[in-house]
Amino acid sequence: MNNRNHEGARHGGPPVVSCENVSFSYLDSGRPALAEISLEVRAGEYVGVVGPNGGGKSTLLRLMNGLLRADSGDVRVAGFDPAAEPFEVRKRVGMLFQNPENGLVAPFVEDDIAFGLENVGVSREEMRERVRKAVRAVGLDGYEQREPHTLSGGEKQRVALAGLLALDPEVLLLDEPTSMLDAAGRRGVLERLEALRGARTVVHVTHDLDERLDADRVLVLGAGRLVADVSPERLVSDPDLLRDNRLVLPTALRLAAELGLGPAQLRTPEDLAEAIVEKSGARAR
Amino acid sequence: MRIELENVRHVYASGTPFEVEALRGVSLPVEPEEVLGIVGGTGSGKSTLVQHLNLLLVPTSGRVLVDGADARTIRGGELRGRVGLVFQFPEAALFAPTVEEDVAFAPRRLGLSEGEVHRRVGETLGLLGASHLAGRSPFALSGGEKRRVAIAGVLAMAPEVLVLDEPTAGLDPATREDLLGVVRALREEGTSVVMVSHDLDEVAEVADRVCVLENGEVRAVGAPEEVFYSHPTTAPSTVRVVRPLRGPHPEVGRPVRFEETLAALKGLLEGRV
Amino acid sequence: MTAGRTLGQFYPVTSLLHGLDPRAKILGTAALAVGLFLVDSAAGFLLISAVVVLLVAASRIPPGTFVGFLRPVAFIVALTALFQVFFSREGELLLEWGFVQVHEGGLVRGLFLASRILLLVSTAALLTATTAPVALADGIEDLLSPLKKVRFPAHELAMMITIALRFIPTLHEEAQKITRAQAARGADFSEGGPIRRAHALLPVLVPLTIGAFRRADELAEAMESRGYRGDEGRTRYRELRFRTRDALALCAAALVVFAGILL
Repeated sequence: MNNRNHEGARHGGPPVVSCENVSFSYLDSGRPALAEISLEVRAGEYVGVVGPNGGGKSTLLRLMNGLLRADSGDVRVAGFDPAAEPFEVRKRVGMLFQNPENGLVAPFVEDDIAFGLENVGVSREEMRERVRKAVRAVGLDGYEQREPHTLSGGEKQRVALAGLLALDPEVLLLDEPTSMLDAAGRRGVLERLEALRGARTVVHVTHDLDERLDADRVLVLGAGRLVADVSPERLVSDPDLLRDNRLVLPTALRLAAELGLGPAQLRTPEDLAEAIVEKSGARAR
Repeated sequence: MRIELENVRHVYASGTPFEVEALRGVSLPVEPEEVLGIVGGTGSGKSTLVQHLNLLLVPTSGRVLVDGADARTIRGGELRGRVGLVFQFPEAALFAPTVEEDVAFAPRRLGLSEGEVHRRVGETLGLLGASHLAGRSPFALSGGEKRRVAIAGVLAMAPEVLVLDEPTAGLDPATREDLLGVVRALREEGTSVVMVSHDLDEVAEVADRVCVLENGEVRAVGAPEEVFYSHPTTAPSTVRVVRPLRGPHPEVGRPVRFEETLAALKGLLEGRV
Repeated sequence: MTAGRTLGQFYPVTSLLHGLDPRAKILGTAALAVGLFLVDSAAGFLLISAVVVLLVAASRIPPGTFVGFLRPVAFIVALTALFQVFFSREGELLLEWGFVQVHEGGLVRGLFLASRILLLVSTAALLTATTAPVALADGIEDLLSPLKKVRFPAHELAMMITIALRFIPTLHEEAQKITRAQAARGADFSEGGPIRRAHALLPVLVPLTIGAFRRADELAEAMESRGYRGDEGRTRYRELRFRTRDALALCAAALVVFAGILL
């Protein structure tokens, strides 16, 4: 394995999530979904996971919260084995799913946010307070008595996120949470996720490189293997890595790459405009 | 085929406490052989608007004209065959035991011969890159594959105008690119495409004209460079890069598509006057 | 965009009845229902009718709306009552017209039957109109919970009701969307006889059903991920508090029922 592709930033401390030689195959498939994956995530890290469709990203998350059980290898999350003690893991690990509709279980927003708290047996007085805080954390004050089918996709996803935050999880697993949302919904959710940086450990699967360019590290999963574990800057600067894994840069970064202006330093199209002004100004002198 | 919305208003649940005016007097032409991009936020009325193009929804007031004549004079079945509408997340409507049968549904409803139906199924599946899926069950496919089949199912009617409501929603970048290619190919062979999208970058790449909808009204309509460069809040990434440069360097022009933007920026950096 | 219409007949205003504990209302309705089957006198029916009218007033539901709730059964009531009136041979002959005979017994039976059905439906309508569906589910779970000792799945039942309430509007929208999509492909749901129409519904029913199963799968994953393990160790967010007025309401219901039976 190319060493250059495994130099992502490392936080200190013991890993909160670790996989050691983990393999998994679905029953009706010949090919393994994950083949001997080893990785570590430390406390407070924000890790992006990208890769082509069918590469194993969603499978990986489901192994982490015990929805699936690894065929071989060790998975440890928040100190527990998700396959052996799923309930303990789920008290500490929240997962946000792709389809905003099917993550909401109760007829009212408030009740849905309380669902997780009910499951772990929190007392009623404490529940009220935690639901209130969670509602505030996602900016949905006033939505408590709304019914899910009256909400936009972005709002539904924020309700789901509130439900997870109410449990005060150490780790958040995000399975392409914005891919079914429109631009406004996406923005709303990403803003709230932004606020989580540093406070919790986050593993964010996405097929949109636009989304987590400020992650601490990015893992690239291809055909069930961990192909790369690098910083975002490194990822966007490596056309081979991108091409081999069918990853597409956002428009502004593609322009930057073609213009030789180093996409690694850019976040927005306006950043690129600035870079061009500088460079053409320098040329004029 | 030219479709024109003439001062179309649409009110949902009229007379009840839940009354909502989704379209407030929209006038908009869809020209033959063009790709028209319709952009706007949630609640802008985009989906309501496109459902008027084949009269799946009828205006509360105003008219829909097809080649100058009131669309209501055309038989419903015929109109829906000439204006194909693909809803958002269309794969939710896949129902037949095999992909072939599902795509055959619409052309069969048109009363075509089995031979013609078969030909069309093959052709549209080929265009959408889904020929290898013909004998499979639609329910066993991946999201991107289902999307292709669903679009093929409407295309098999050989409509003169294809209306796509958020065709790339929820898809990975590779499939998105493929679908945009299909849009271009369709325009090449003379089919008009109306594409509703919240993704401005996509619209920028394929649209001949752009319409901005806001709150049930048309805010702007015209050539992409007209619309995008005049509206600060509605701009694809390419325009967002170029716009700050137009002050000091007006020679960069108003490119919208990726290739032309790249060329303009290269020219700028290489000091071409 | 669908407007935020609440499910079913629930009429959201503040009233005496709305404020009662759902358990009291469920038990009260059950008591009235039992009573209605045991009442067998005009005076008894009149009493219960008067009580129902009072309750409708107390619920602050507009009378017109309430009568609307009864409309679905109006036809059946009329039919069964008329059947009794024209075909029962009990008691004195009151009217004769050709071979159609109306006996006193038939008239009385018809009236009683009509009253019974209408009053039953009214009490049920009062229950659903003044109790939010979620509260109803909570109430049912609570009342059935002693049965958990004999392994009756009271919690699972309540969970099913809650989830159904949550997804019915969603499934409704989905059905509409699929119907429109198939219409855009040339499906016609109005042509032909009953068999053709049933067949025409397949393109809607099949994807709707399969979609519902897929939804259920995803929902189950989400619920499990949030620590759901059935009833084990579970607490409840919503509080049901039985207050004095609820006890009074129950006593009043019991009294009315006894009076009705005795009369």
